[in-house]
Amino acid sequence: MKNFLTQIVKFIKEIVLAIKEGDLFVKFSLLIMGMGYFGRKQMIKGIIMTLFQILVCFFAWIVAIPYLIKIPTLGTVQREMIFNLDTMKNEVNEFDHSFKILLFGIISIFILFVSLLIYFVNIIKVRSLQLRKEAGKHINNFSEDIKEYFDKKFHITLLFFPVAGIVVFTVIPLLVVIMVAFTNYDQTNMPPTNLFTWVGVQNFQQLFTSSITITFGYSFKKVLLWTLVWAFFATFTNYIAGILLAIFINDKKTKLKKMWRTFFVVTIAVPQFVTLLLVRNFFADTGIVNTICQSLGVTEFLQNIGLVKQSLSYIPFLTDPAWAKVMVILINMWIGIPYLMLIATGVLLNIPTDIMESARIDGANGFQVFVKITMPYMLFVTGPYLVTSFVANINNFNVIYLLTQDVFFTMDQYLANSNAKEIDLLVTWLYRLTQEQYNFKMASVIGIVVFVLCATFTLLAFNTMIKGNREEDFQ
Amino acid sequence: MKSKVLAVLVSVSLLATIFVGCGKTETAVTTETDVETTEEVTEEVTETTELENVTLVMWGAEEDQVMLGEMIESFKTFYADKAVFDISLGVQSESTAKDTVLTDVEAAADVFAFADDQLNELVNAGALQPVSINTDAIIEANGGVEAGSVKAAMKEDTLYAYPMTADNGYFMFYDKSVFTEEDVKSLDKMMEVASAAGKKITVDYSSGWYLYSFFQGAGLTLALNEDGVTNFCTWNETDGKYTGAQVAEAMLTIANNPGFVSLGDAEFVTGVTDGTIAAGINGTWNAATAEAAWGENYAAVKLPTYTVAGEQVQMSSFAGYKLVGVNAYSEYAGWAMLLAEWITNYENQVKRFEQRGLGPSNIEAAASDEVQSSPAIAALAAQSVYATVQRVGNNFWDPASAYGAIVAAGNPDGTDLQELVDLLVDGITAPVQ
Repeated sequence: MKNFLTQIVKFIKEIVLAIKEGDLFVKFSLLIMGMGYFGRKQMIKGIIMTLFQILVCFFAWIVAIPYLIKIPTLGTVQREMIFNLDTMKNEVNEFDHSFKILLFGIISIFILFVSLLIYFVNIIKVRSLQLRKEAGKHINNFSEDIKEYFDKKFHITLLFFPVAGIVVFTVIPLLVVIMVAFTNYDQTNMPPTNLFTWVGVQNFQQLFTSSITITFGYSFKKVLLWTLVWAFFATFTNYIAGILLAIFINDKKTKLKKMWRTFFVVTIAVPQFVTLLLVRNFFADTGIVNTICQSLGVTEFLQNIGLVKQSLSYIPFLTDPAWAKVMVILINMWIGIPYLMLIATGVLLNIPTDIMESARIDGANGFQVFVKITMPYMLFVTGPYLVTSFVANINNFNVIYLLTQDVFFTMDQYLANSNAKEIDLLVTWLYRLTQEQYNFKMASVIGIVVFVLCATFTLLAFNTMIKGNREEDFQ
Repeated sequence: MKSKVLAVLVSVSLLATIFVGCGKTETAVTTETDVETTEEVTEEVTETTELENVTLVMWGAEEDQVMLGEMIESFKTFYADKAVFDISLGVQSESTAKDTVLTDVEAAADVFAFADDQLNELVNAGALQPVSINTDAIIEANGGVEAGSVKAAMKEDTLYAYPMTADNGYFMFYDKSVFTEEDVKSLDKMMEVASAAGKKITVDYSSGWYLYSFFQGAGLTLALNEDGVTNFCTWNETDGKYTGAQVAEAMLTIANNPGFVSLGDAEFVTGVTDGTIAAGINGTWNAATAEAAWGENYAAVKLPTYTVAGEQVQMSSFAGYKLVGVNAYSEYAGWAMLLAEWITNYENQVKRFEQRGLGPSNIEAAASDEVQSSPAIAALAAQSVYATVQRVGNNFWDPASAYGAIVAAGNPDGTDLQELVDLLVDGITAPVQ
């Protein structure tokens, strides 16, 4: 942070210096960006910069300013239309589209900001050209400049496309979605027909409020807790079981290793959502698993030991909150373990055999080897994977949604009043808020919470658990 | 030379004024006529312009695609001298049309079919074009302003959609080999007969759509507030003929009956197919399944009565209709309206019944003997006396389904029933948060 600030101060100082000490061309380039280049006979560069300046001005005039002046209100003119029988078409007024204003407003701000940066960098560049000229150094012509981007400045060329991609496809949409959290964009304020506007932090307050009718606070606590519990179990059950499976298959005494491995990999070959939808039918209240359990007497046994209520004639695998929570974790193991097994197999083969052998000679048994050597080594190598899969599980939409949608109904009326269910993760709740309730503002608030959650876990984990310089620690 | 130029200029300007003058009088004429008959206007307009290129997109149910394709062809032929059409057809289930349309109204189809319960939200979002061509004729053909299908397509005296079918409500299916016609008059009797036969009857308690029939039947109210978004609900009424807690008590008694089980739509199909279910409340979309499973014994009837506080109460229901809407953002709104009108006119409703067995909303089409002899449609007609048009805000569904799940499970926590319905009403009537 401090470093960043000093960089900014340095940048500003450079600009001021350039303007103060620059010659006429440098000073002129404050007005016309190409001037500094024309003065050093870099005609093409000069034309490009001037064209750029004209384009930005055009953009500002035609797009940026019309949208930016509406940003404070997000539009005031609602759509009105009259059907014209003569033309067979609707006559529509010039209406404001709140979402477009928000979107183009943010894009405009972004483009203008970048243009401003380029404008200042340009002055510094022009000034350095002046210095080169005064020192009698060689000044590149256009083709030499281009060549430099494939040589000395190749890193810039390489980075340009990924960075541009991230800005266009991630940063700007993210900013827009974050902004939605501060508006009243919901089913009563849906563009294009209706307008929405800024409401400040009201939605965030609502997320932590519990009253008789607004139960977001209550639901949020429950859903957040389950999300964390789920992420923990989903990650570590898969991780440990996957490693154990890999160890069993790799054991010297195991025969037909390839066959076993293939069996487990086959489950990967079936697309996940197909498996999940099938499994949902298997475990339905009237599904095949229940029929089998009933004829085998399992249902009765579970009723006797109190795991299934006497009033039910079936096992509520995916319809009772507690059962469903256990089931989704188990089913998730079933589809997740094969991946872990593959990863673990690769890592296990890499454990230096000399360490293992010396442990054996020292008299360590299998369990001790596993705890003292295998697991630390695994943790060290797959640590980053563990962190990312924990974060991925916080957002594991597929398993929860596909297994419980249309099957699981909450019996908690407080949860129902804010459209949540016991089995919901933050993401599935968010999804149903947008898709079924059009409650974009609350979905956006929850989205921000999820982001903060994931960012915190990732940062914490990477900073404490895995640091690049701890290679020897696992021994 | 100069005089020649002048002559040309003068004649050009004269011609121009003539044309301008003509144009003005012409529009004046058309606006006069459009008050009288709208159909003439459309003809006149299209005559004066060159053949216009009209691009339209239509969405319909997957099962209807072939039939809709034929309807589009006949539409094109009928209006061949008015415009050049490029009409494409896409698949969009009527039950989820609203979600897809509201995701991006401007990118949605010009003409789309949807279930009438979605009308309110579509109108609120400004997605529906008010019907502005031949409005009166359409209302007339479907039975006038008091007809259910027209009411379902109207909001605040404006017709927003074209009634297409009148069979989207629910009724009682039953197996004649298990129940007599006398049995199916009361739910208590049905459960008694069913459990004696080792079978069950079913109502989907997890859906507010079906729960409505108990409360509405007992005279409790659920309606939309004037804002068109939030609900008004008296399901926790403590005085009046029947109280909300009494209805909940009645539903709980039904849920605890060994002859009863609450099943969702898919499980209803499974149950009917494997023979565990002998009767159930469901809609025409499952009529074919029931007919296949029960064969000759398949029968349908209006909903039975059930017992509240010791008295028999007729179950009410939501009347369901399928409608065709025109996108208010359609570039060719006029032609889209004509297309929507075309696919819902008399001939095409008859065709829809013949090819797909869907009950017409057009009264003339519905009056035919073939339509009347379909058990499902006859049952719906008998139920229609007790049915009301569905106008419910979005906040109804989740609280209702939670309440239904609790009752279906036999109120496992033993919550006080008044508390249960109080919370239910709190959720249903909650403001949009």
